[in-house]
Amino acid sequence: MREIITFIAISCALFALTQAQSYDDKRCKCICPSISSVTNSTETSHMARIMYITNVPPKQCNCDGVILPRIGRELQGKEQEFCPRCECKHENRNTGIIKVVVIIVIWVISILVIYMAFLIILDPLLNKRIKGSYQEHTNEDDEASTAGPMYHNMSLRGNVLNRVGHQQDKWKKQVKEQRRNIYDRHTMLN
Amino acid sequence: MEKYPLKKAGTAVPQHSPSYQSVDKKYTNGNRATFVATPDEDMIDITTSGGGERTTRLGEDEDGTSHYSVSFGGMQENVDIPGIGQYDDFHTIDWQRDIARDRMRHRHIIKKKQDSLWNLIEGAHDAWSGWLCVLLVGLCTGMVAGGIDIGASWMTDLKFGICPQAFWLNREQCCWSSNETSFDSGNCSQWLTWPEMLGQSREGAGAYIISYLFYIVLALLFAALSASLVRMFAPYACGSGIPEIKTILSGFIIRGYLGKWTLIIKCVGLILSVSAGLSLGKEGPMVHIACAIGNILSYLFPKYGRNEAKKREILSASAAAGVSVAFGAPIGGVLFSLEEVSYYFPLKTLWRSFFCALIAAFILRSINPFGNEHSVLFYVEYNKPWIFFELIPFIGLGIIGGIIATIFIKANLYWCRYRKYSKLGQYPVTEVLVVTVLTAIIAYPNPYTRMNTSQLIYLLFSQCGISNSDDLCDYNRNFTNVNSAIEIAAAGPGVHKAIWLLILALILKLIMTIFTFGMKVPCGLFIPSLCLGAIVGRIVGIGMEQLAYTYSKNWLFSGECSTGDDCITPGLYAMVGAAAVLGGVTRMTVSLVVIMFELTGGVRYIVPLMAAAMASKWVGDALGRQGIYDAHIALNGYPFLDSKDEFQHTSLAADVMQPKRNETLSVITQDSMSVDDIEALLKETEHNGYPVVVSRESQYLVGFVLRRDLNLAIANAKRMADGICGQSIVLFTSGNPPQTLGPPPLKLKKILDMAPITITDQTPMETVVDMFRKLGLRQTLVTHNGRLLGVITKKDVLRHIKQMDNEDPNSVLFN
Repeated sequence: MREIITFIAISCALFALTQAQSYDDKRCKCICPSISSVTNSTETSHMARIMYITNVPPKQCNCDGVILPRIGRELQGKEQEFCPRCECKHENRNTGIIKVVVIIVIWVISILVIYMAFLIILDPLLNKRIKGSYQEHTNEDDEASTAGPMYHNMSLRGNVLNRVGHQQDKWKKQVKEQRRNIYDRHTMLN
Repeated sequence: MEKYPLKKAGTAVPQHSPSYQSVDKKYTNGNRATFVATPDEDMIDITTSGGGERTTRLGEDEDGTSHYSVSFGGMQENVDIPGIGQYDDFHTIDWQRDIARDRMRHRHIIKKKQDSLWNLIEGAHDAWSGWLCVLLVGLCTGMVAGGIDIGASWMTDLKFGICPQAFWLNREQCCWSSNETSFDSGNCSQWLTWPEMLGQSREGAGAYIISYLFYIVLALLFAALSASLVRMFAPYACGSGIPEIKTILSGFIIRGYLGKWTLIIKCVGLILSVSAGLSLGKEGPMVHIACAIGNILSYLFPKYGRNEAKKREILSASAAAGVSVAFGAPIGGVLFSLEEVSYYFPLKTLWRSFFCALIAAFILRSINPFGNEHSVLFYVEYNKPWIFFELIPFIGLGIIGGIIATIFIKANLYWCRYRKYSKLGQYPVTEVLVVTVLTAIIAYPNPYTRMNTSQLIYLLFSQCGISNSDDLCDYNRNFTNVNSAIEIAAAGPGVHKAIWLLILALILKLIMTIFTFGMKVPCGLFIPSLCLGAIVGRIVGIGMEQLAYTYSKNWLFSGECSTGDDCITPGLYAMVGAAAVLGGVTRMTVSLVVIMFELTGGVRYIVPLMAAAMASKWVGDALGRQGIYDAHIALNGYPFLDSKDEFQHTSLAADVMQPKRNETLSVITQDSMSVDDIEALLKETEHNGYPVVVSRESQYLVGFVLRRDLNLAIANAKRMADGICGQSIVLFTSGNPPQTLGPPPLKLKKILDMAPITITDQTPMETVVDMFRKLGLRQTLVTHNGRLLGVITKKDVLRHIKQMDNEDPNSVLFN
């Protein structure tokens, strides 16, 4: 199970890295009030704002570097009044990581949903063995060690599938007990 | 990784069981024998039964160290019975024993260091393995937290629309490079809302209905997935996990609570339930996630993985890392671990926690999940001064926060108790679905509840600047004054509207959080309580601001506000209010203030935050005794002995001890019971440990043996050793039995704890409780005139405390 997830994660990462980046990872975002607020023309609205997004180095991310080259002419020499009202922020992100993470999340959720559907629908049909009574689950290493010799024999005789099945049964028993504690007896996690 | 280092060590050093002082060889032999012999001879004077054997035994001892150290030493070095030193599910650990075990192991490694280069390397590895382990925990926690942050923010926005060019981006990231001059509610042409995807227009009644429906359906889908994944794969993943972590750190075993499946399902379920728009946060469960990572990684290092007391050092550090990534506050995380969750916190753990929190915060910061160069969405940077007079409203906020917190705790506890004992508890998934649908239906029309709670907190915390176009910042400002970019101004109609919406949001959030916290999905309550406080604070802040604007000539405000400056910052009030409610709910003080000031990066707000946190704690403590975590611990009956409470009753150890009058104490004699006798005793009684005495008549104490160890040792002996049968005498002495007829004896001295903590029956319970708390005992033996009288276990103490506080003593869980 874990190997599969790791493999998928790696393959997704590789896939993500080979893709061309269609989005920039750096930006300088400046927000200013509309020019009319300083040019003494008719007052339009308090809420009107202009937003500029460019890709400049962090040091140039200010009014002089971003706003004035664009609209300096329209300001008619009122730069000194206009600039203090602008807010400029340089931001960074990493779309590669976002992409990989979101794809992994989608994968993990789909795998879990499929496995859940399998356990609910198919497993009762395939697996009609009668389960023994529950033994209180103990430490993982510990259980493996107390059942050491017997378990060893079995894995020699059986194959990998058998071992996986054994592990799965053990895990199912644990979950069943947890479910009993929480959902039926309400002794924990209320 | 080596699986049984102890076993291997045992084969390497046969027979010679080292004592605590075994490094120092001159101690072991000559000097020691006389020292030990003295108390033994005293005993011979008193007793006549069993004394004879003891003297012979003493003579036959190879090194004469019949002192308590042997038991631990023997446990470490000679035992090849697997599982000794582990604990069963729902048992309390014995800190003293585990720490002594570790000390023995450590001495053994130091002693062997000179032997060979390999041993030297092994010793070095052992020395740094603690730091390595917390380093790994920090790395993993940072990465997992980054993944959860990114996943949750993407999936939350999925309820509103999608970015068709790059589906993995959320709305803000999708509009990252869009250069559109209008930015109404953050939409841009790249981001398509669901009605647009279906070919409708962006605005209009039809589009609103479609958006509404999509919001509800997707919320329902996410919540259903979360609840059923939790139910199917890892029921332990539900809830916030902090009460359980507190209990586990205080020395309780819950197997599987920090396991792999719990970790996976908690992460995935957290993403899903946060995106479902439920009134819950992902910050509290981060602590659980970090602890699960710590537990899993500690198995890589046998020093920690196989010693429960040592493992708790790693878990404490992990809890610090969890808060560190949840709030981007490493120091706050360390203090949280110290103040709130940890039980046993030596300085060594403090430094490791510090390191672990640092690494985790660094990793999360480099992942940069929110694109704002910080590890939390609602990071704000403040540098505005506050007026001394403002302390009064801040303390007022603290009082309001305490009241809201008490209402929340009481109501939530009532609801959780109702869920526990009524039929409601039988429909966990249905409950989640109903709450989700209700939340979604009520939350969507109000823009403040519709948005992600973290975003709302950010909005409430932030200052009204030019970049903030929300209604909340609709002041009648004119932009003509050059000198000050933002000046104080009268509130516009937008602010009034926003306040009404915020009040509605406050009521809704409070009610929904009461019903949400405790549902069977992963859910934390840091974010909802921060949000409640921030709403209250912002409203109070706006009120203060308008007061200052209206009465700017008043003497109160005239000093700072006369120039027309924006002297009062509503965002700061929001922050203080948030701290107050969170402080009232969790009863944190120091760590809370540090977390809040790390969130804002402003040291100058420490005093307001402290004032609010203190006021809120006082009000909370006055109205209701417990914080939410302690209340949930009490509700579940976890065996948690709070080290903050004081025991004020005058009872004595004799009143608490088991057995009560008219009952007999089950004991094992040191050299006269057969295997059959012991097995019968194990079958008849359900105690978790048995005192070993010299003989039934004298009841002189020899040591204490655990049920689990006895079981394992007998089973092991029957399997391995020849000739052991039902009639074999079980020996807890190191010599040979006087009679040599019959089957060979079973020697179990190595599993005997020869240094049980004993008290006399007249010891006041105050002292006993203190011993349990400070030494982390699992049980203590009660003696009278040197004879064994009874046992006090942690459960007895907890029951006694409950009884004294007039609560139901049977509500204490398990052993």
